[in-house]
Amino acid sequence: MDPAEAEFLAEKELVTVIPNFSLDRIYLIGGDLGPFNPGLPVEVPLWLAVNLKQRQKCRLIPPEWMDAEKLEEIRDQERKEDTFTPMPNPYYMELTKLLLNYASDSIPKADEIRTLVKDTWDTRIAKLRLSADSFVRQQEAHAKLDNLTLMEINTTGTFLTQALDHMYKLRTNLQPGESAQSQDF
Amino acid sequence: MERMKHEKSYTICGLAWHPKGGQIAYTDTEGNLGLLENVCNRDGKKSSGKVSSAVTKDYNDLFDEDDDFLNTDLIEPRSSPKVVSNEEDDDDDDLMLASGHPRHRGAIIEDDENSLDTALMKVNSNLEKDDDNDQDGSIPVLPVSTTQRPFYDGPVPTPQQKPFQSGSTPSHLTHHFMVWNSIGIIRCYNDEQDNAIDVEFHDTSIHHATHLPNSLNHTMADLSSEAILLACESTEELASKLHCVHFSSWDSNKEWTVDMPKDEDIEAICLGQGWAACATSAMLTRVFTIGGLQKEIFSLPGPVVSMAGHGEQLVVIYHRGTGFDGDQCLGVQLIELGKKKRQVLHGDLLPLTRKSYLMWVGFSAEGTPCYVDSEGIVKMLNRGLGNTWLPVCDTREYCKGKSDHYWVIGIHENPQQLRCIPCKGARFPPTLPRPAVAILSFKLPYCQITTEKGQMEEQFWRSVVFHNHLDYLSKNGYEYDENAKNEAAKEQQELLMKLFALSCKLEREFRCVELADFMTQNAVNLAIKYASRSRKLILAQRLSEMAVEKATEMAAPEEDDDEEDDFRNHLNAGYSNSTTEWSQPRVRNLLHEQDLEDSKETNAVEEVEEMPEMQKFRQNPFCKTVGLPEMSTPKSAVITSSSQGRVNPFKVSANQKDSTAHSANILDNMSKFSKNTPTPNSRAVNKQKSPVIKPLIPKPKSKQALAATFFQPRPPHAGDKTVEEKEEKAENILPEIQAAATENKRPKTGFQMWLEENRESILADNPDLEEADIIKEGMSRFRVLSSDERMVWTEKAKGGAASNSAEAKKRKRPADAKNEGKEKLKEKSEEDSSLPKKRKPLDPSTNVRLSAFAFKQS
Repeated sequence: MDPAEAEFLAEKELVTVIPNFSLDRIYLIGGDLGPFNPGLPVEVPLWLAVNLKQRQKCRLIPPEWMDAEKLEEIRDQERKEDTFTPMPNPYYMELTKLLLNYASDSIPKADEIRTLVKDTWDTRIAKLRLSADSFVRQQEAHAKLDNLTLMEINTTGTFLTQALDHMYKLRTNLQPGESAQSQDF
Repeated sequence: MERMKHEKSYTICGLAWHPKGGQIAYTDTEGNLGLLENVCNRDGKKSSGKVSSAVTKDYNDLFDEDDDFLNTDLIEPRSSPKVVSNEEDDDDDDLMLASGHPRHRGAIIEDDENSLDTALMKVNSNLEKDDDNDQDGSIPVLPVSTTQRPFYDGPVPTPQQKPFQSGSTPSHLTHHFMVWNSIGIIRCYNDEQDNAIDVEFHDTSIHHATHLPNSLNHTMADLSSEAILLACESTEELASKLHCVHFSSWDSNKEWTVDMPKDEDIEAICLGQGWAACATSAMLTRVFTIGGLQKEIFSLPGPVVSMAGHGEQLVVIYHRGTGFDGDQCLGVQLIELGKKKRQVLHGDLLPLTRKSYLMWVGFSAEGTPCYVDSEGIVKMLNRGLGNTWLPVCDTREYCKGKSDHYWVIGIHENPQQLRCIPCKGARFPPTLPRPAVAILSFKLPYCQITTEKGQMEEQFWRSVVFHNHLDYLSKNGYEYDENAKNEAAKEQQELLMKLFALSCKLEREFRCVELADFMTQNAVNLAIKYASRSRKLILAQRLSEMAVEKATEMAAPEEDDDEEDDFRNHLNAGYSNSTTEWSQPRVRNLLHEQDLEDSKETNAVEEVEEMPEMQKFRQNPFCKTVGLPEMSTPKSAVITSSSQGRVNPFKVSANQKDSTAHSANILDNMSKFSKNTPTPNSRAVNKQKSPVIKPLIPKPKSKQALAATFFQPRPPHAGDKTVEEKEEKAENILPEIQAAATENKRPKTGFQMWLEENRESILADNPDLEEADIIKEGMSRFRVLSSDERMVWTEKAKGGAASNSAEAKKRKRPADAKNEGKEKLKEKSEEDSSLPKKRKPLDPSTNVRLSAFAFKQS
C-alpha cells in the first residue's frame, strides 16, 4: 500500500462544509448526500469537499480537533508519553494535508496547525523508528503498537517487514551455511 | 403637578410622597435635608388634628430597623395622612404595611448603583403616567432615610429598549454584522483605514459578494433576494437617508436614495418582496416600492423597536407603553401590503418573557411571524388559534454554559429548523473567526414530555402548529406543496392512532373518544377496528356513533350550500337507485375487515401502517362535490371491479353505513357477551343499545339495520357457518340499510318519477347502459327540460311522496338483481311497523345465532 492509497481511503472521511448553492439530496453508491442549502452546514466526504472548494462552491468548517490549542496539547502529550497516544482522527495527517492545501483560507491559524501536526507526526515517526529498532535489536517475536494510524503504519510497514524477512533469511542462511559445510563432507 | 397635588390631597396616601415628587425633580438628590423639611411642613398643615398615634407607632416600628437616626417627626406627618386613608380604605393600608418594608430595603440596595439617580428621574417623570397605580397606593415614594435621599420604591419603570435590526450585532464594535439572515450576511468594518460594508450571499446564484464604501456611515441594513437596503441617521449637515441597492433591477440604474425630512431619523428598516419600509423617529412607517417610489405612510402608536418583512407581510414592533420591573411593554402590528391591504395584528401586546427584551423579530421561511426574546424563548404566531403567540423553542435549554446563548438567524417550518449561531459566553457572535451555523429543533412546552403520552401530544401539536402556514398559504392564494400537506395530515393521524392505542392500553376509554374527535373519518374507522379488536365494546360503539355524527356533520354544511334543492333531490333519487353498485364496495370493505379481524395481529402499529392508504380518501369526491354523487357512482363500480374495494370515492358515505354495519357487529358481540356472562354490567350495555343513539342519527335507520339482521335467513346451527355465509349476510344487510336510510330520508322526487317514466326511452336509445349510466343520462335529459316541466314533476312527487314510498321501495328492489334477500326484504318492510313489538321476543334466538357468529369472527 502506498501513501496515495491511504489518502484515497481518508477521502471518505466526512467533513462539514457550508455550500453557497442550492441542491436537492443526491444519491450516490456510498450513501445519500445533502440536501445542500446555501448557508447551512452539511456533512460531505472529503473528496467532495475538496472538489467543491476548488470550484469555490463552498466554505469549509474545519474539524473540531483542527484547532491550534488542541493540537498543541496533543503534541505535548505525544512528546511526554513513551507510547503512542490516540490521535483525534485516524486520518489526521491526510486530512490536515488536504484541507490545508485546498482550504487554508477557511481554517484559522493554518500555518500554526500545519507545524503542530508536522511536529506530532515527527514525534510519532521517531517513536516508531525507535521501537522498530529495539524490536530488531532484542530479536523479539512480536510487539504491540496501539494507536497507530494507517499512514504511519504505511511509512514503515513495508520496509520493516521486508527488512525482517531479509534478516530472517540471513539468520537462517547462517545455520544452513554451517550444515551445508557439514554436508560438504 | 399641580393637578396631581389636588388629587392627592383628597386621597391622602399620595401626600406622603407627592410633594417630594415635585421637588426632587428640581433639586439635587443629595440635598435631602431641605426637601424633607418641606414635606414636614406641608403634611403638618394638612394632617392637622387627624393624627392617630397608633398608626404612627406602627410606622415607627416599621422603619426603625433601617432608619436609626430618622426622627419620628419625619415619619409621623407622612404617615398621618395615611391614617385618613386608612379610615376610608383599609385594604390600601394593608397593602402598604405589607409591602412597604421590603421595598424600602430593595431601594437601599439599589443605592449602590450609579443608575439610581437617572432611574429616579425617570420615575418622577413617569409618575404622571401612573395615576392608576397611585390610586391603590402601590407606588408610594418614601425617602431613603439612611442616605438622606428620597427614593422611589415601587415598581421601577424599565428603560425602553432601543430600536434594532434583527440579526445585527452592536454597531459600536469596529467589526459587526449589520444583518445575518437567510439570504446572506452584511458586515460592517469601521476601523481607521477602512469604513466599508461587505455583502455576502449564502447562495451565490442570487448575486455575487459585493463591497460597498460606507461614506455615509450607515448603521442599519437589510437584505433580501432583490435588494440591499441601508440607512443612516442624520448628522448635522445631512438628513437621514435610506439607500437601496436594487441589484435585481433589469435596468442599469440599480441604486436609489431617499432623504428623510428634517429632524426625522430612520430607526428601523426592512425589506419585503417588492417593497421596502422604514420606521422613523417621527413614529411614522414609510413604505416604498423596491424601485424607489413612495407608497403608504402610517403612524405608529409608539416608538419603533424593530420591523421585519416577508412577502407582502410587514411586522412592526413598537413601544406600547412603559414596562415595569424589567419588563418591556411592546405592541405588534402585522400588516399585509399586498393587493388586499389589511391589518392582521392590531397593535396587540407582544407577550415577552418576564424581565426580557426583544432580541430578534422576523418571519419563518414560510412566512409566519416569529420573535425571540432575551431569555432565548422563540415564539411563533399561531394562526390556527386566533393569532396567538406560541413558544416553540427555548434556546437556553440547549446552552451548555450559563452565559452561553444562541443567536437566532432564521426559522424554517418545513423542515422544522431553528437556525442559530452558538455564542460562547456572549449574546452575539464575533465576525471573526467566522461563526458556524447550528440547527436546533423545536419543542413546545408541553407537560410531562418524558412520558410517552406527553411526547406524542407534543409531537402532534407541533405538527399541527408547524403546518398552519399551509392553510395560510392556500387561503391567500400562494403556491404550496400539496404533498407536504398530505404528509402532515398523515403524520398527525398516525400520532393520533398511536395515542389512541396508548390510551386503549391504559383503559382510558373516555380519552380515546376525545382523541377520536381529532381524527379524520378513516382514522376513526381504524380506531373502531382497534377498539373492537381489543374488546372495548362500549368504546367501539361510541366511536361508531361519533363516526356517523362526523359523516352527517360533514355532509350537512355542504347540503346547505346547495342552491338547487330540487336538483339535490334528483341526485338523491339516483343515489338510491344505484344501491347495488355502490353497496358492493362496502361489502368488500366489510369482508376486508373481517379478514383483518381474523388475523391475529392486533397491534396499533399495523393499523397505523394502513393509514397512508386511508389518507387518500380525505380528498374524496363525495365531500367536495356532494352535489354530484352519482357522477361518481360509476366510478365506484369501476374501482370495485378493479378489485380495489378500498379506493372508494364514496368512502365517507360508505363509512357512515360501514359504521352502522359495525354497530350491528358490535351489537352482535354484545349480545354474545350478555348471553355468556349475564352480569348486571352487560345488561346495562344491552340497555344502552338503542337509547344511546344520538339525535343526529336518523333513528329508524339503525333500528332497521338491526331489524335487517334479525330477519336474516340463517341456518339453525350457527356453528357450521362459513365465510360465504358471512358474505351473504353482509350483502343482505347493507343494501337494506342503505335502502332504509335513503327511503327514510327522501321520499320520491320529481326526477325519480320522471326517470321511471322515461327509463324505457333512455334504454331504447342506449340499450347497453348500466343502471348508473341510465341515471346519469336521465339527469342530463331532465336538466334539459324546461323549469315548468320540472316543476310539474316536483309537484307530483310532493303529492305522491307519502303513498309512493313503500311502492317505490318494492319497485326499486327488483332492480337489484344481485340482491338475494329481496323476498325477505318485502317481508321486512311489511313487518317494519310491527317491529318494536316483535323485536323483543325475537331477541334471544337471534342473539344465539349472532353471538355464535360473532364468536367465530373474533
